[in-house]
Amino acid sequence: MYTDILITGAGIVSAIGIGKTETLCSLRDGRSGIRPLRYLKTDHHEFPVGEVQLSNDEMCALLGINPASQPTTRTALMGMLALKEALEQARLIDPKTQRLKDPIPLISGTTVGGMDKSELYYLDFLENDSRNEYIRTHDCGACTEMIADHFGRFSMLSTLSTACSSAANAVILGAEMIRAGRSQCVVVGGSECITKFHLNGFASLMILDKEPCRPFDQSRAGLNLGEGAAWLVLETREHAHRRNATPLARLAGYGNACDAFHQTATSPDGEGPYLAMKQALERAGIMPSQVDYINAHGTATNNNDISESTAIRRLFGNQLPPVSSTKAFTGHTTSASGTIEAVICLLAIQHCFLPVNLRFKAAGECLTPIYQATDKNLHYVLSNAFGFGGNDSALLFASPTASANSQFSILNSRSKKVYLLSASQISAQEPLREDWIDSPIPLTQPLTPSREADYKQFIPPLEARRMGKILKRAIATARTATAQAGIDTPQAIITATGLGCVENTEIFLDALCRQGEDQLMPTRFMQSTHNTMSSIVAINLHAHGYNATYAHNTVSFQSALLDALLQLRRSTIGNALVCAHDEMTPSYHALLCKGGYLKDKHATECAVSMMLSTENNGHALCEIADMRILYRPTEAERQQALAEFGDVTYHTSAENIFGTSYTAPALDLYAAAHTMNNRPIVVQYSDDKYLTLIFLRP
Amino acid sequence: MEELIQKLKKEIIEVLNLEDIKPEDIDTNAPLFGDEGLGLDSIDALELIVLMEKNYGIKLQDPNQGKEIFKSISVMADYISKNRTK
Repeated sequence: MYTDILITGAGIVSAIGIGKTETLCSLRDGRSGIRPLRYLKTDHHEFPVGEVQLSNDEMCALLGINPASQPTTRTALMGMLALKEALEQARLIDPKTQRLKDPIPLISGTTVGGMDKSELYYLDFLENDSRNEYIRTHDCGACTEMIADHFGRFSMLSTLSTACSSAANAVILGAEMIRAGRSQCVVVGGSECITKFHLNGFASLMILDKEPCRPFDQSRAGLNLGEGAAWLVLETREHAHRRNATPLARLAGYGNACDAFHQTATSPDGEGPYLAMKQALERAGIMPSQVDYINAHGTATNNNDISESTAIRRLFGNQLPPVSSTKAFTGHTTSASGTIEAVICLLAIQHCFLPVNLRFKAAGECLTPIYQATDKNLHYVLSNAFGFGGNDSALLFASPTASANSQFSILNSRSKKVYLLSASQISAQEPLREDWIDSPIPLTQPLTPSREADYKQFIPPLEARRMGKILKRAIATARTATAQAGIDTPQAIITATGLGCVENTEIFLDALCRQGEDQLMPTRFMQSTHNTMSSIVAINLHAHGYNATYAHNTVSFQSALLDALLQLRRSTIGNALVCAHDEMTPSYHALLCKGGYLKDKHATECAVSMMLSTENNGHALCEIADMRILYRPTEAERQQALAEFGDVTYHTSAENIFGTSYTAPALDLYAAAHTMNNRPIVVQYSDDKYLTLIFLRP
Repeated sequence: MEELIQKLKKEIIEVLNLEDIKPEDIDTNAPLFGDEGLGLDSIDALELIVLMEKNYGIKLQDPNQGKEIFKSISVMADYISKNRTK
């Protein structure tokens, strides 16, 4: 069975406008949104930015939210504004009530989440109880929930956090879910506001320009931070046809690859960007010469623009299509940039023009972008989004009238079986082994840190010196799981983390709040993003394949597993390393207790890596047969999901062995796989919001 | 100058977390970056820029300046002694 994936709704909020109409006018008139700082309270007034020209209170008013009675974050508010436009255009919400008509999945991308409020109230969190309600708005998953809940109930939520490619990877997961037949219609996108945290982080990396940025120009001297949100409604052609929805464009292809080179720099040959773009074209079945326009990542840093130029030249040779970076308009909208630039591409397709690369004068070694406004009919448009850690993605859009060379296949019944070949953990129990499983160490303390392994055998000292414990655990478990499975380089690395690199985030945030915005340590910032583990493991294993990180509180691991399962069953990949990592510090633990999490529970840390494959090497622990993630299910939906797996043993939790962390469901699966004794088992997780079921067969 | 050199070695070991290295292991004239010498990289250079500002009141505006100044401990000490404001 084959289908097209159409885009039937789009919404955008950025420095160049609220909504598509304002955005289009700014693009066509060459009106940049880069201005002096106005809304963010910071000492760094030397850096111009691309701020959304609305205060939080003004956004609340537009959305009908009373800020006094509902804690909100800027990322969530921008996300809601943009989502409203997308859902209205696709006619998925009731115009009167503004509520979603039917529950559908929503996949978001963000990295800062609620950091704007956390950095404002961090000292209050530690010292008094005046702002406790904002502890709960901190994590990336909470941000997605706030955005989604404003419109009623979505059927599933998840959040990608791959730094500046987050939203692009949300589009990819949404498309994979449609191709797997999991849903006919999915909302995808991302949101990110400017915070003091990452403004100072980018400043410490010395990649911010004090002038408006000049992508691809010889005189470029860094990026300007921007902010915003954008969403796309993806649906099958059949579903759109039934609803009489008008297609804006077709998602023709996409690619995701890992540069596996350096934490913050792109390789000189642009390997990751090259592979991501190549994959997008191959999936769509088109030749490089058919691409009419590339919306480049084009951050205007010295490193990105030259390596992206190299990657584009490698793929397109002498037939370079028109290229521009619209970050000269919007600033670098980081995690949201993937879909913000996707919506800009849709506007370009719809209104037949090439967005101009503002402030370009001389090329130097880089390619020459479009520096004059030009009208052009566009059939195929490529949009790049690259992130720290070498998380590189590319999306390919086709005009509704462009001929479809190949259509995406939808999963048929002959999909591949997926085996769990190995699993390795570092936790409160004996590290990197499982022979203790019949007599685990009892948990007695409110917070039990992990028992550390000997990391010297896995990591050279010069590399290890900069790594926090969470990174060392990530490498040690990954190396153990891959070695046990007999696989040197996994074809995909998919990582889950609820809170990310807590230790580095806390040190950077503490310094920011106590010492002020000066002399902050770049290493701490660089290793504070959620995708640090996944990219460090990719560098260590030389893995250039698919790479993604999920940060959606208690369903982070289940999201990562679902992503792996969908791709493996369709044979897009033959094996995948799925990882789950969360660390805990004493003060973060105290904050979480204050925020109402971890009540009467044993808090622990989690490090699990597992190797999944479509080939059973004869030593598989079990088959991962199927899984479900449900958000706020009704009782009927809950019963139906449970009934689908028939009469099987339920394995609910290994909390008494491993304690609690956001990614503890990975340890539940680990325990179940090691103790299932030849009977099928369902690993069930449920809380007040989510129900997840993972079906294991011996 | 010798005193500054010794102090600098200790500070670099601390800020760059060079756990297994002692001040006497660092050759004062050997290159800090690249495969010879200490083998530091671009992120270390950014940390050294922070160190220069924090401990000696020297503010570098352009990361490329670091390439010259951080050639070796002796070059760095020389630059600091001429430009320090604290």
